[in-house]
Amino acid sequence: MDVLVTVTLVIVVALVFDFTNGFHDTANAMATSVATGALKPKVAVLISAVLNLVGAFLSTEVASTVSNGIIREGDGGVQVTPTMIFAGLVGAVVWNLATWYLGLPSSSSHALFGGLIGAAVIGAGLGSVDFAVVLSKVVLPALISPFVAGVVALVATYVAYRVTRQATLRGSTAGFRHGQTISASLVSLAHGTNDAQKTMGVITLTLVAAGYQGSGTPPQLWVIVACGLAIALGTYLGGWRIMRTVGKRITDVQAPQGFAAETSSAATILISSHLGFALSTTQVTSGSIVGAGLGKRLATVHWGVVGRIASAWVVTLPAAALVGGASAWLASTSTAGLVVVAVLALGGGVAFGVLARRHPVTHETVNDSDEAPAAAQPAGAARGQGE
Amino acid sequence: MFLGVDWGAFVVVFLVALVATAVIVTAFAAGIRLFADGALDPVPGGPGASSPAAAAVAPRARPLGATLAGSACFAVGVAAVLAGLWLIVPQFH
Repeated sequence: MDVLVTVTLVIVVALVFDFTNGFHDTANAMATSVATGALKPKVAVLISAVLNLVGAFLSTEVASTVSNGIIREGDGGVQVTPTMIFAGLVGAVVWNLATWYLGLPSSSSHALFGGLIGAAVIGAGLGSVDFAVVLSKVVLPALISPFVAGVVALVATYVAYRVTRQATLRGSTAGFRHGQTISASLVSLAHGTNDAQKTMGVITLTLVAAGYQGSGTPPQLWVIVACGLAIALGTYLGGWRIMRTVGKRITDVQAPQGFAAETSSAATILISSHLGFALSTTQVTSGSIVGAGLGKRLATVHWGVVGRIASAWVVTLPAAALVGGASAWLASTSTAGLVVVAVLALGGGVAFGVLARRHPVTHETVNDSDEAPAAAQPAGAARGQGE
Repeated sequence: MFLGVDWGAFVVVFLVALVATAVIVTAFAAGIRLFADGALDPVPGGPGASSPAAAAVAPRARPLGATLAGSACFAVGVAAVLAGLWLIVPQFH
């Protein structure tokens, strides 16, 4: 009975995590397309949602470990229990909602790793975490990938403006908008293949650990369908708060910049995952947009916003670890403790939702570049065409 | 290997992404330039100038060479999209 309760809670929280993952990462692929008016906001999130769903079905080969070696699992290491996975997921979901409320793009994978690390430290001690792997697989790639994507996007933006005479040639804006839509769609599809798979892995490994599924078997159909739908629904509902930050507040993205940034992101993400070390979509796309801002003459990059995003990235892992650790501590006491954690997490989620409603960002106001009311923004492409 | 990171792989990703992106963006922008045939947007970057209809209606006949070369440039973009799909869909490799 206790096992069933735990497994059920893990599956529910895993799907909620998957939902927040889609919710968070819509901005990565679609913020620039919405900002430049290449796509209407609702059309952009619909395309992204469908591509995420398709991506979820394309790629269903799950990893053999939850944490990709960050936690010393298996022989000679610790046993990652369903309770630890549950606590880790709670940490990741709470942190994802916190950064969503603040409108900051942050890596859902890092939040998940952070949550798991916190849960593992509480559940099995500091020795259970392989900090060398944390450094090599999480920290250093996170430091380097924005620069890689940023430099590529900077060069691409410069070239795009140079060749089209600062985009004054007939058809420039329209052409770059079409191109941008296509490269952003590739980013969305790649996101679906990578990120839905992570949640499938978490659920499948939990089912295996609880004895409901044979070790080494592929994810069951209902798991694939549920994960695909959760990430697609999250994507469709759209994290408008984050989209506004990425598309308008880092720099006011124009069509040639959007094309250059999305093409750079797609190239960097696809090439890195083909070579076996997938870089974080969030970090690559954010870096690309800063690069696109720097590559255009006289464009302004708001370094204050960039600094806030960078701080959020630094805090993501420890913050999620803290919540994950606290959850593990409470949840490991008893099944009642587990349920209390679930209720507290739900309360936290509702609290962020209520807070967000006080300053809502919707598909209608997603292109406002400051706190001024939408009516003061004549160029706001989203006005009046969202429904 | 330093700090457990394969730095060579990072350099490879950077260089391949840089070259691939530069080729795609250059080709795409050159395609736009060739199709424009020197004509300017009525209002550069303005909403009226950016509708597909405005881009399609040519004020004068474009030289055949420019059309062919421009099409070749856009073909590079199409090839890049197909390559991207090949990379994304695991069933292809």
